[in-house]
Parts: sequence; C-alpha cells; structure tokens
Amino acid sequence: MPVSARNICRSFGDNQVLFDVDLDLQAGEVHALLGENGAGKSTLVKILAGYLRPTSGEVLCDGSPQDYRSSGDAEADGVVMIHQELALAEQLSVEENIFLGRELRRGPFLDRRAMRERSQAALAELETHVDPRARVKDLSTSDQQMVEIAKAITRDVRVLIMDEPTATLTENEVTVLFALIARLRQRGVAILYISHKLREIEQIADRVTVLRDGHLIDSGPMAGRSKEELARLMVGREITEMYPPLTVLSSDAPVVLEARAFVVPGAVKQASFTLRRGEVLGFGGVVGAGRTALIEAVLGLRAKSAGQVLRSGQPVVLRHLRDAVHQRIAYLTEDRKGKGLVLNMDLRSNVTLLNLRAHCHPLLDRRREEKAFQEAVQRFDIRLRTAALTAAELSGGNQQKLLLAKVMSIDPDIVIINEPTRGIDVGTKHQIYHFIHELTEAGRSVILISSEMGELIGLSHRVAVMCAGVLTGIIEGEQINEHNIMQYASGIKGVGVDEQRHA
Amino acid sequence: MPSIKTAVATITATAALTSAIGFSGAAMAQELTIGVSIPAATHGWAGGVNYHAEEAKKRLEALYPDIEITISTAGTAGEQANDLEDLVSLRSIDALVILPFESGPLTDPVRRVKESGVFVTVVDRGLTEEGIQDLYVAGNNHELGRVSGEYIREQLDGEGDIVVLRGIPTVIDDERVQGFQEAIEGSEINILDMQHANWNRDDGFEVMQDYLSRFDNIDAVWAQDDDIALGVIEAVRQADREDELFIVGGAGMKEIIKRVMEGDELVPVDVLYPPGMIATAMDLTVQHFVSNGPVLGEYILGSPLITEENAEQYYFPDSPF
Amino acid sequence: MSSAMLNNKTTQNTAAQNTVARPKGFSIDLKTWGPFIALVVLAILGVLINPAFLGLDNLSNMLTRSAFIGIIAIGATFVITAGGLDLSVGAMAAFIAGVMIILMNSLVEQFGAGITTIVLGIGASLLLGLCAGFINGIVTTKGKIEAFIVTLGTMGIYRSLVTYLADGGTLTLDWAVRDIYRPVYYGSFMGITFPVWVFFAVAVIGYILLNYTRFGRYCFAIGSNEKVAEYSAIHVDRVKTLTYMLQGVCVALATIIYVPRLGSASGATGVLWELEAIAAVIIGGTMLKGGHGRIWGTVIGAIMLTMIGNILNLTDAISNYLNGTVQGIIIIVAVYLQRASWRKTRP
Repeated sequence: MPVSARNICRSFGDNQVLFDVDLDLQAGEVHALLGENGAGKSTLVKILAGYLRPTSGEVLCDGSPQDYRSSGDAEADGVVMIHQELALAEQLSVEENIFLGRELRRGPFLDRRAMRERSQAALAELETHVDPRARVKDLSTSDQQMVEIAKAITRDVRVLIMDEPTATLTENEVTVLFALIARLRQRGVAILYISHKLREIEQIADRVTVLRDGHLIDSGPMAGRSKEELARLMVGREITEMYPPLTVLSSDAPVVLEARAFVVPGAVKQASFTLRRGEVLGFGGVVGAGRTALIEAVLGLRAKSAGQVLRSGQPVVLRHLRDAVHQRIAYLTEDRKGKGLVLNMDLRSNVTLLNLRAHCHPLLDRRREEKAFQEAVQRFDIRLRTAALTAAELSGGNQQKLLLAKVMSIDPDIVIINEPTRGIDVGTKHQIYHFIHELTEAGRSVILISSEMGELIGLSHRVAVMCAGVLTGIIEGEQINEHNIMQYASGIKGVGVDEQRHA
Repeated sequence: MPSIKTAVATITATAALTSAIGFSGAAMAQELTIGVSIPAATHGWAGGVNYHAEEAKKRLEALYPDIEITISTAGTAGEQANDLEDLVSLRSIDALVILPFESGPLTDPVRRVKESGVFVTVVDRGLTEEGIQDLYVAGNNHELGRVSGEYIREQLDGEGDIVVLRGIPTVIDDERVQGFQEAIEGSEINILDMQHANWNRDDGFEVMQDYLSRFDNIDAVWAQDDDIALGVIEAVRQADREDELFIVGGAGMKEIIKRVMEGDELVPVDVLYPPGMIATAMDLTVQHFVSNGPVLGEYILGSPLITEENAEQYYFPDSPF
Repeated sequence: MSSAMLNNKTTQNTAAQNTVARPKGFSIDLKTWGPFIALVVLAILGVLINPAFLGLDNLSNMLTRSAFIGIIAIGATFVITAGGLDLSVGAMAAFIAGVMIILMNSLVEQFGAGITTIVLGIGASLLLGLCAGFINGIVTTKGKIEAFIVTLGTMGIYRSLVTYLADGGTLTLDWAVRDIYRPVYYGSFMGITFPVWVFFAVAVIGYILLNYTRFGRYCFAIGSNEKVAEYSAIHVDRVKTLTYMLQGVCVALATIIYVPRLGSASGATGVLWELEAIAAVIIGGTMLKGGHGRIWGTVIGAIMLTMIGNILNLTDAISNYLNGTVQGIIIIVAVYLQRASWRKTRP
C-alpha cells in the first residue's frame, strides 16, 4: 500500500478542520475524494503531499510512518500533487517549468536537449500539441493544466494527487486526461482524485471517500454506489431537483438585447444573437471558441472591429463596461480571483465597488455601505464562519456568492454569467441554479456561458454554440441535447462551417 | 597680502597670453583639435565652468580658424571616462583639457589618453599619480581656507564663537577646512560645530537654521561656498540676527560679489575660487601649440580676498555664476 | 429582487454567525500606530540629545521644512496606492520653480512688483504642475509604458530643462517681487507658519479624497488588481491619470511655498526629493506595490525624515560622515516595526 493516513486531525488556531480521518490509497487504483467546499479535502491532501503537517495522526508510506516536512520530502517518496490553482512560473517556458527545481545538468551546465526531449515525450503522452518552448503565460488555462500534469508524470510518480483537474478543461481534454489516468493506473500508480463532478467520478473512480465538515462519512468501492447517493452523503441531505424548471416564456416576450455581426480581431470571426425578456440564453463551445471574447466585446471590455448592439431595439454604443452598467447589464466574470474580486480588500468594499456611486453623496457613506453589505450577506447566503477580513480568505463558493452580490448591486435587467459553477461544490451550485431561475421569474434575462453541458441543457431556453470564433448555430427547445451541442461546437453542423474548413 | 599678488599675477598673465596668442595666430598652419572634458552644470560653480569654457571656445575658435574645440560634459566619473575614450577614438584630439570629476577614478583613463600621444592639461583636481599631465592649472583649496580663516581671525580680534558649514565630503573640502583650521590655530576662536551643507543652498539654509536655534551667540559663519552662503543669509534673516554676525563664503558668485561691492555688512568679503580657471587652462593649452616655446608645468591660481574696494574686477554680470 | 436567495440547507446561517469577528488581543496595532510610535521615540531621542530640540523656533523650523516633502508625498501616496510611481517630482519641482521665477521676473516690467505678478506666477505654477502630471499619466496609461520608465524619462527632461533655463547657473527672483512674496514662506498665522497650514490643509483634503470618495476607493482597487478594477466598470486609465495630475498639483503647491524661501532655482533644486517623498510614503505604511495607502502615515513619514536631519544637526556626537547611516537605519527600523508580525504565531 503506497500511502495511507491514520487518525489525521488538523486545526488552524481554534478551528479544527479534520477529525480522525483515515484514508488508504492502493497501487493501480483511482480513489475519488468527495466533499463540499470547506469539507477538509484540500487540507487532507496537503497533509499527504507534505505541504502541511497533521496536528495529530500519522501518514504511512509503504507501511512505515513518515514525517514529511516539505513537499520535497513527499516527492522524494513519489508522492506528487497537482494543484487546483496552477503553480507554474508564468514567464518561463513549458520545458523550464516541467523541470523547475530539478533541472537536468551536464557538468555545471543545463542539459537543454535532454530536458526538451523528455518534455516532448511527456507532452506527447498527453496527446497535447503544446510546444515545449512556448512561454507558459501564452498558453490557455487548459494547456497550462496539461503542463502541470506533464510535470508530474516526468517524475517517478507512485502517488498522484489531482485537485479539481478538470475544472478548466474542455470535454475533449477531459477525455484525453481520463485516458491518461487509465494508463497511469495500469502502470500501478495510485491516483487520488478530487472533484465536484459526480459524473466524472462515476466514470473513473475505483474507490471513493466522502468527507463532510472534516469527518470521514463514507469510504469504499465505487461499484454499488450511485451518484445520487454520493451527493446525499456529501451534502447530508437529499438533493432532489438539480435544475429548477424553466421560466415560461410568452411568445411575445420582447428582445432586450441584440448583438449584430460582431467581429473581434483574433477571436471572433462572425457572431450575432438576440436575448429576450425572461430568457436564459446559453453559450456552449470548447474553451477558446470565442464565447468570452464575444461577450466581452459586446460589453465594451474588448476592442471589436465590427458589430452593433441594440438595447430593447435602440442602438447603443458600449465603449466601456461603465456604459453597459448604465444600460443595466451586469457581467459575472469567469475569473473571480483575477478579474472579479479585489482579494486583499475587505468584503464590504468588494460588494459596493461596482455601484459605488449609490453610496456617495458626495462623500462615501460607510454606514450605508455596511448596510448594503449585510443585506447582501443575507440575500446571497454568504457564510462568514471565520473572521474573514479580506476576500482572499473566503472559500471558493463564498467568493462566488460575494461576486454575485457585487454584480447584482446595480440591480441589472440583464445578467451575463460566465462559468458560474467552476470549482464550487454541489450545494452552492444548486443555489446558483435557483438564483438564475429567480432572475428569469422576475422578468430579467440571463446569458449563461458554461463548459458544463448539463448546465446548458438544464437551464437554457436556447443555446448558442460557437466554434473557432464563429457562432455556428442556436439550438432551441427539444433540439438542446449533448449530441447537437457537440456537433455545432466541433463545426460539423452550422453556419459558416464551410469557410472554417477552408481556413 | 601675498594672495592678492598671485591673483593679480594670474589675471595679468591671462591677459598677456590672450594678446600673445593674437600675434602668433597666423603662424599656425596645421589643424588642431582640442577636447575639453568637464563635469555637467549640476551646481553653480560647475555652471560657471561650463559658461567660461563655452566663452573661451567661441573666443579661441574665432581667433584661430584652424583650431576646433569639442566640449563634452559628464554627469559622473564613469561617464567622463567614457567621454575620454570617445574623444580619442572618434574625434582624434591632439590635446585634452580635463577637469576631472574625481581624481582617483580618472587617473588611469587620463593616462591612457596621454599614452596615445595627446597633450594633457589637468584642471583643478590633480591626478593621484605624478607625471601624467603636461600642464596643470588649479585653484588653491588650502589657500581658500587659509585666507578665510585669516580674515575671520582678524575681524574678531582673535576671539569669538563661529560655526562652519562644510561642502560635500571630498578632498577639496578637507583641504579647505585644513587651511582654515591652521589659520585660526592659536587664537581664542572657538568652532561651535561643523556640518556638511554639500555646497547646496537648501542644505545651507537648513543647517544654519539649526545652528541658530542651537547657539545663542554666533560671531561669524564660515560658509566656504557662495551657494551655501546664500542659504545661510536667508536663515539669518529669518531669525533676525543679521546684526550679530557676518558670513564668509567662497568661489566668487556674482550675487555675493554684488553684495560685497555694495558694502553689505552681513557679507563683507568673499574669497575667490574662479570657475574661469578652465578658460585659463584652454588658453594655455592653445598657447603651447601656437607659440614658439612649449608651455608646461604648474599654474596655481591664488584665492584672493574680494573686498568692497576690489570687487568690481571680479564681477561678471553675464555669467550664470 | 426581494426574496432571499434560496437557502436549501438547514438554516445554520444565523445573524450571529454572520457578524465578522474581529481578531481580539491587547497588542497595539503596530500597522496603524507604528509610524506614530517611531516618531515619538525619535522625538524623545531628540530631546535627550539636545533640549533645544523642543524650542518653539526649532519645532516651527522643522515642520515648515517638512512641508515640501510632505505635500509632494501626499500626492505620491495616491500615485503609489493606485499602483504607479512618479520619479519626476524633484525635477518637476525644480522646473516649475524655474519657469515661475522667469515668468515673474518678466511680468515685473508689465505689472510691476505687485500681487498681480505673484498671483499670475502661482497660477502658472499650478497649471504647469497639472500639465506635467497629465503628461506622466497619459503616457503611462495610453502608451502602456511602465511608470518607472516614463517618469525616469520626464525626470531627466525636467532636470535638464531647468539647467538650460538657468544656463547652468541659478535663476534668481527679482528682489522687489521677492520682498512681497517672502511672507508666503516666512509668515505665520496663529503662530503657525503658512507652509505648515498648507501642508495641513493638503493632508486633510488628501485624507478625505483617499478614504471618503469614489476616486480614493478606485485607487485602492486599481492598485490591488487593475483587471478587477476594469471588470468593476472603473475607468482605470482616467483614475490613474488623475493620480498623476494630483501629484503634479501637489508638486506645484510645494514649489509655490519653496520659491519664496531662497528666491532661486537651479539644477540642484529638488535633487532626490522623489526618493524622500517615496520614503515618507512607505514609512507611513503605504504599500509600494499599491493597493493600500495611508495619508496620515505619509504626513508622519515626512516629518520623521526631516526630524532625523534636524536631530543630526543638533548634535556633534555622530560623525558627519555617518549621517546617511543613521538615516538609513532609522528608516528601515521604522518600516520593520509595522511590517513584522508581532502577534503570536498560531499554535
């Protein structure tokens, strides 16, 4: 047995986050670790990988107790962790990253050729087209993820810990990753896999462990356990309806937003769409298909070379996000840490930042801000269990809710939501789905960009699909299913397909 | 006083040179390039050096069509070393007139210039090694200190409390202070404190303000430099203590000389340290090439005391300094 | 929308749990009070070294002196908080002073040596500061060049321009004008000199701007993360340019009270003021990388820097050659006091 944990407890100050947790990883097995955000999964794996030390309990490697003082100690034993937040040096090249800290040398000099060859081999194994000489900052998020994985497999890995590896990957890339996991499993590597996506776990896990509030709830073979049962174990209650019913659209619902003939240099070749009152318009496609670029160009966040926006039939010019805010359009970015929240600012200021004018007359009214914040905490169910002073200290799900509160502070008529459930737990996802439903019930309109097929299908009235910068088609009603979305997303079906094939 | 004698000698020598050059100008046939390397005009005195160098260039080039003078200014010692290389390789100079930023770091670069066969004139700050330069033209820092000290000693009848404002910590500053201390040695003159004012007006103002709040009685101030002196004057004016003391500066800035000329009791005298020495050095260098005999050796300019009586001859209203 | 976001979980989310618990403890918050404590310690040291330190004249001299750097540093607090940097302030001050003197000297012929001349000079100075700041701001934001490079460039430009204007020498203000203008530096109201009043007023206005206006809040947001600011519908370029313009006006104000002090400007005016201003800002607790700024800290930082020089002038116990050493140590200790973690580490 490569690695086991026995009676692990861990506290941060007075706050105990793990209570007597056991975990056994077997060679050649995929072991799924489940739990809501804050259940203690990340803490547990950090202890296994040597980033943290347990308050009590022990980690065993090949049956003998180990006292890892750093991640380097654990890596020496073949225990490697791939982080949820990518830990790559942005300005270095792919191969430099893969061998960072353990560069191959010939005498005192770097052996660049050997490193390139081995990098290439590892990347080829992942079936990815990433150039080992490319700079990491120029890669897409999913390619960066591949680099992380390549970095792990070039080590003599015996235990691979993956924390939410598919959060930023497209369906295609997920397939490649799963094939790779299967190969590693055959080689006898023990894989500890953390994910919120139960469907994936059903697909690849041999064994499963569920944590809730720091306690071990369940552990055993995957066979014989259903998705529904696991969800119930994680959340501690029955999750009946994942997706709320669609708001009924009257046939004469007016068009509130229309984008005509948008072209964004280097990202969108041609796209038009309309949005009606009370409607959820989904946007599907692979990462990099131009969905975010299109929406951001519509909102004035990116330069466009052509395109017109009509708001309730009237042409409007949106040069800056501020103009969009004036049109009561709100945008929830997919990158909540990089673009959504000021991480080192207090929570209150984050919530009021978008609509600060409302709290100025003419000087800022701190009391009014505080009131608005308290209302937002109630309304969006933001949990402040610990003394979180800045946004950085909140968990992913709570950050997402804080961002939602910020965006909703302008009381928008149209809400554009980009990847709202990336990296957050089942319970919070559920809340966000119901929130979208509430919006449309109240006569507002929603644009939902998502890479999760299920979300698009479950929440949208119509789904616009993009492929390589072209809006290939808009699917309605009965037509919305996985097969159709895939066909449009890969360019097999739809408008502009021919030009694309020639391109 | 011997100092006045040397000064007068210098002035007349310069005048004589100029006329001599006038006569022998036609005698020269071959073309001649002279490089002049001086510090950039970052403070008053260096500004004066720049002014006098430019003036001398105009005058000499008008006098001798065959002579070309290139002036380059440098902000640091390193920059000046680069300038020297460029002057030799790009301008192929026949003679170099240099006022070194600092003696030590520039000794070797100047030696290399000399080794390439160029006639070298060093101004103001001597190199750390003997025998490199052909011609040396300099002011006398030690004498500046001594003349100032003698004047203060005389005015105070050998006893009293004084304060001293020093320059930037360098050899120049040390020599001046040494000369000053030697001059007041054995008298009852008591130096209350010495602080660096870095040849800067603002620093002079602030240091003097602090002296004034610290000491109830000050009989005289040795400011060593006219920029510092201007700051000191303001501080004294602010504290309303003009009647209690007098100030001795140094260098010969036109504002101070004007005050001396007008008989200002706060600034009764000044001690000369002329930025015009660069012009003297350029004149002498040209003289070496155009006259019949070689011009070599050392020319030390005096630091005469400028008083109400003789101030007019040191007053250049057009100079920036 | 009036209804609360659906809350399917068992209602554990009570109001009590939602109130943010502030960290308890008796330890003084050194982050806030660090600069102030350092100032008091330094003052006590000053008195011990020389009782003349506490003399009214000396205190007044010191505060008046600190006004230049202080006013400039208040402007710098905004620039740095918004993630920028302005190295050109010292050279800008010299340049503005130079232009102001030349202008006033030439206006004497037309308007005589009177208030009109001085008011026009002051107006020109403010306008020049505003423009200089605007140039720094627009080049950094629209040109997408690092502030360090842009302001390093303008620093060289202004410095050489003033040297050029002065022909390498010193520009001196007309005697008659100076006599009228002089009280702006030397005069006082209620026993406190005008520069100190201006410093105080600028500090109060700066405090309100930074903490109680949208502009201030936007500075914090931009300094923390420009992308987030952009996605919060903030006109990032506009706010950043405004910080540089504010800095320019502060430099102009400092120059306006500087010129009557010595009535002159030269290439040596304001040398290293930029570093002193930045040091004052950092001593005061503002983060150099942006995102967090404190006006009162800056005020204390500026006073502290002047105080160090003052105390060193009041003693001959320390070799003059070591002034820089003492200054350096005090600055580092002052900043260490607030950055170091003084709370007990977690068990």
